Amino acid sequence: MNRRGASLAGRVAIVTGAGQGVGEGIARRLAEHGATVIVAARRAETGEPVAASIRSDGGSATCVETDVTKGESIAACVTHTVAEFGRLDIVVHNAFTGAIPHRLENAVLDKHWKGMSLTAGWASLQCAREAHPHLAASSRRPRGEGGGRYVLITSPSGVEGSANIPLYSPAKAAQRAIAKSLAREWGPDGITVNCIAPVAASPSLITAFDRNPALQQAIEARTPLGRVGDITDDIGSVALFLAGDDSSYVTGQTIVCDGGSFLGL
Amino acid sequence: MTSIVVGEGRLAEALRARVTAEMPARVIVPPLVIEPMRVVDLTDDDIDRMWEQPMRTVISELQRAHGDGCRRIVVVVPTIGQSGGAEYAAVSATAEAARVLVKSAARQWGEVDVTVNAVAVAPEVFGIDTAITGPISIAPRALAGEVDPSDTISFLCSAAAGHVTGQTIVCDGGLWM
Repeated sequence: MNRRGASLAGRVAIVTGAGQGVGEGIARRLAEHGATVIVAARRAETGEPVAASIRSDGGSATCVETDVTKGESIAACVTHTVAEFGRLDIVVHNAFTGAIPHRLENAVLDKHWKGMSLTAGWASLQCAREAHPHLAASSRRPRGEGGGRYVLITSPSGVEGSANIPLYSPAKAAQRAIAKSLAREWGPDGITVNCIAPVAASPSLITAFDRNPALQQAIEARTPLGRVGDITDDIGSVALFLAGDDSSYVTGQTIVCDGGSFLGL
Repeated sequence: MTSIVVGEGRLAEALRARVTAEMPARVIVPPLVIEPMRVVDLTDDDIDRMWEQPMRTVISELQRAHGDGCRRIVVVVPTIGQSGGAEYAAVSATAEAARVLVKSAARQWGEVDVTVNAVAVAPEVFGIDTAITGPISIAPRALAGEVDPSDTISFLCSAAAGHVTGQTIVCDGGLWM
């Protein structure tokens, strides 16, 4: 592993949806910088290989099967983490499911809304509820030894709406509002709460590119930096900033990490 | 005649009495559950009451408005969705989700000449206690006096607003900018 520093040494981080894509990239980057990472994946088949790969690269990671559509599973993940490692400093809630193209007028709530509502709205609140005491405890540690961080992965569509998946946007918008609200509520506890709105080469996007090369060209053409983000180097690095001490005076914010494609904030 | 305003509470009642429309229109006041509560105290039942059920109502009312042939649709929300508010995480999530859903609806329904917009009002209009939320803005409100959003909503329900869609007009006397 290319250990670029140990800025998160001693910290313990849960990354939901870390079995692939953006969550995996974030988990890898946090581990590279010394964090013990809980790869919270719905299926061990995806989460365990990521954790094993991090360990083989010299990092510290363990997979905990976590279904963020179930509050009790989130609670169990937090409980397991604290029991195993004695602390929880960072939660990155990235897991998300249910984005199916649809027409709003024909949307069936249990098909086109429920999954996104559970993973974005419900789980963002439930992760916060379960993690708060531990994140607050982290913030009571001396500077440089802790600092509670809650990071939500949202989307530019959560700001500008979506013509293809209209119910995706409100689910992602909710996360920005939750971040702002918790930034206010948890500020006195010293916990920061922020969002990242990424566009990255996740497995689903790569599959879409394979099926439709014109889509990749279109995204690259509209992006000032001319490329799609890398899950670790581009997105993971922003998460590292928000998870670490360098961002200790940043809270309630959304960092759009998409190569400059969306400039609406 | 059936009112174009759907929703309960004082705000909805006031709008029912004052808002006018020049064409088939619908004004949706989301059924926000206004109860300050720290996130650590939220039960799953609370999340259902404060997030899931109000959002399902907003989505269903938008669908109903579209199905009824409305050409102007306005959703009224508190600015707490944009500002966030301590002890109102679930409520602010619902408000902001409803506000951004307007943009998605506008993007899809523009092709059939339906406009969809949001009007954001001061949190107090929905009964939200800004002594708890924290300040909505770092600056004082620009305008003094009582704010009535009904004329702004009536404009959005008029023919003159035919090229305005997916927007949020903040109608709070210039507090949130």
